[in-house]
Amino acid sequence: MAYKRQFYPGTSVPAANRRRYLDPKQNLKKLRDVAMDDVVRIMGHRNPGEDYKSIHPPIEEGKEPVCPIREIVVPIEGAKKGDRVRYIQFTDSVYFAPISPYQRAWMYLSRFRGLDTGTLSGRQIIEMRERDLEKLSKFLIDSETFDPALTGIRGATVHGHACRLDENGLMFDAWQRYVWDAKKKEVVYVKDQVALPLDRRISVGKPAPMADLLKRTTIFSAYTGGVDMREDKEVTEYGIRIHKLRTLAGYQPFNVKGV
Amino acid sequence: MTSARMMKTTYAGTPLPEVKIFTDRFLSAETTEKVLNALIEVKHIRQINICGETLPLTVKSGPHTGIPVNHPERKMIKFGNTEIELTKLVGEFFIELNADCDVDAAVEEIRKACDKTVNIGYSLEIGRYSKYRPTLTDTLRC
Repeated sequence: MAYKRQFYPGTSVPAANRRRYLDPKQNLKKLRDVAMDDVVRIMGHRNPGEDYKSIHPPIEEGKEPVCPIREIVVPIEGAKKGDRVRYIQFTDSVYFAPISPYQRAWMYLSRFRGLDTGTLSGRQIIEMRERDLEKLSKFLIDSETFDPALTGIRGATVHGHACRLDENGLMFDAWQRYVWDAKKKEVVYVKDQVALPLDRRISVGKPAPMADLLKRTTIFSAYTGGVDMREDKEVTEYGIRIHKLRTLAGYQPFNVKGV
Repeated sequence: MTSARMMKTTYAGTPLPEVKIFTDRFLSAETTEKVLNALIEVKHIRQINICGETLPLTVKSGPHTGIPVNHPERKMIKFGNTEIELTKLVGEFFIELNADCDVDAAVEEIRKACDKTVNIGYSLEIGRYSKYRPTLTDTLRC
């Protein structure tokens, strides 16, 4: 019997959202359209229109050693051209951001090729060849996994994911990379991800209402309005099972019988 | 006399009653100013300490270390007749009451001041949340 890929257990809303974000066959909804040049400005690695810097000649020009793996793996566009590896980093608020760092890692590795990602408590970095990274960043910023108020694009000093929100509902940012536009009721980036002021204000749209976020989030939380992980029996059992197998058998869970 | 922590903390030496205001969200500088000035009117307050997230003056890490942050909420606010520089996005107020006051009456007045100025919700508790006499850290700081 062919193996059918499974994504995440559970019957609750966050569990269903985790499954949906992880499954590459499910399309993520596009909620906004931030111009590619503006995404490039926020990332701050190059100016819009500037050539990509390269760290090696295009693969076609070079003489690659004979290697069966090189023949199997099709290089991504940036690797073909020899682009630098650059990064983008997202911070997700615990107050029901659409996705959280750990699920970001699962989602990236499940859906995209040619990236390296690292998980920390409140942030998730993606490292990738520059031109591919820009496309991926735009895709993520435009998609339902991004909320202007609760997701931050922060290269450093990311502190704020577990802080209370401010009066306008924005996640705390000590470097104030984005501000609330009270007239338009939108979030506007005024600095790039490493706090260099931008020469123009970049709107990333209106924050989603909390009722909408509660339907979209992957975050289990006992905080008002959220779903406590203990309420989802299957998710709880799954967590306990992994914990038990790891405790009893370390990295050899297959050696534990009858659990 | 009422004072804010950013001026200088003074210790009573004995554990006086303390009221803790914990706001549901961080307050803007404007709202913080309103709350503090409403609390000035309350009698029997010995000292107010404010807590929150620090707003740095300059970028402390990354490729642009040293450039100014210019955070819009880090600014001068009026506290009674004096101007103080607010360096935090405030989320907590610790209000120390005088020894000889009617605690219930003072708390009621504090609650009224908060109801008037904090629109985003808060919780209020009475107890002792901070130290009341100097410790080794205070010696090291000076």
